[in-house]
Amino acid sequence: MTRWGMAIDVKRCVGCQTCTIACKQEHGLPAETVWRFVADCEVGEYPDVRRLFLPMQCMHCAEPPCVPVCPTGASRQRPDGIVWVHYDHCVGCGYCAVACPYQARHLIHTANGYFDRPTPSEAAQARPERHGVMTKCTFCKERVDEGLARGLRPGTDADATPMCAVACIAGAIVFGDLDDATSRVARLAADPRAQVLMSECGTEPRVYYLAD
Amino acid sequence: MATVSLSEMIPAQRQTLWGWPAVANFVLGGMGAGWYVVALLAAGFERSPGVTVATWAAPALVLAGFAAVAGEAGRPLRGPRVLTRLRTSWMSRELLIGLAFVLLVVADLVFPLRLHRVQAAVAALLLALAQGFIVRRARGVTAWDVPLVPLLFVLSALLSGAGAYFLVEAASGRPPLPAAVGGVLLLIVVGYMAWSRYLAWRPEEAYRRAVAPLREGPAGTVIDAAGYGVPLLLGLLALAAPVTAAPLLGLAGALLVAGQVCAKARLILDASRLRPITLGIEMSRRRSS
Repeated sequence: MTRWGMAIDVKRCVGCQTCTIACKQEHGLPAETVWRFVADCEVGEYPDVRRLFLPMQCMHCAEPPCVPVCPTGASRQRPDGIVWVHYDHCVGCGYCAVACPYQARHLIHTANGYFDRPTPSEAAQARPERHGVMTKCTFCKERVDEGLARGLRPGTDADATPMCAVACIAGAIVFGDLDDATSRVARLAADPRAQVLMSECGTEPRVYYLAD
Repeated sequence: MATVSLSEMIPAQRQTLWGWPAVANFVLGGMGAGWYVVALLAAGFERSPGVTVATWAAPALVLAGFAAVAGEAGRPLRGPRVLTRLRTSWMSRELLIGLAFVLLVVADLVFPLRLHRVQAAVAALLLALAQGFIVRRARGVTAWDVPLVPLLFVLSALLSGAGAYFLVEAASGRPPLPAAVGGVLLLIVVGYMAWSRYLAWRPEEAYRRAVAPLREGPAGTVIDAAGYGVPLLLGLLALAAPVTAAPLLGLAGALLVAGQVCAKARLILDASRLRPITLGIEMSRRRSS
């Protein structure tokens, strides 16, 4: 059984936001909407202070609180664990966003452009079906599915791997099948340093962070 | 020396998706439901002038709440789809129960039956409970993800409904019977106990900060005084001096409504900080110079 997941090495991340932009470009996200971002964090107290970069996105939880609350069934979870939104069914109530402990869902109210009129690029990437509905990181499920159909291996072959992992300049983001013991992501997830965000929520995230 | 500690990486921020329309839904739906239940209980489930007013007003308030929150949705025309996830979503259940309540009240208007009124009262209580569970299941918000919230919503609905009932009855020159007043006073005491318990539900700093808008400042005073303290005092005075009952209970009713509206508005708009994002970080200890 395939179980897609991700491991992010926080010590490798340099906070360049390339993953943020790569995701935004890949999915044609309008102005003021990002599905992932890198938080610039200062932790500790003087003189024991550290600066860290924390890439944030949907955790594709095994027990996603966003899915059962959805009143229309638009929020869904695939058998391989990817949590996604069926845009045509979403009513845009925002319930899933307040149910998510990771601030990973983004309602696109209107497709704002960066200028008075849409640029040719913005016009080409316009996705009216996403207006007024909830959107989020999809683990680039289209790339993963198309790659698998072509016999590629997600996490190893770039064309079948989420854009954030492909674009990361530091190799901090690793994607793959957590149930494949030979995959790099499975080995990293099993590393004693690996941890998930806010495990007390009981959501069983499938994005692991290697902090130290 | 190095120690691993849970560090706050991204501070808590207020949710911004649910605004005044959501508040209107929770306030109007809760008050409508509570008003109907209180009016029926005060009349022993028989028809009375007070029940007649509640029979017209309560469904209107519930429907107005639904209309308000529909305006907040990104795709309101897909509203009927909200009824498709009754097995898992309290938002679906709220809509179904709300519509059932309205239909039962209309059924009682067309075919007056005690059974219709009892069923409508049960639906009204379930509506308030469903609204509480909607908020309870919003696990991203620290102050909402509390087991006591559904009970709070039921109590708040009954209190605001009692306030509307007192206000209308007093204005109509029909001061409620002492038994009804006594019941509402008991409800105020229970409501305040539940509210106080909720504010101190968890000892963590993140929770204390999350509920601070409900506890501190002018809003905290309004909720405590208007929502509980002063109406309790006015109710006791009305029982002690029946001659002045009408104006005292009218004022108590207005304060009850104001206090509960303030509590719900602050809960949804201000006590709505999302959970801070935390991560276990190894910190090395250095000596400060």
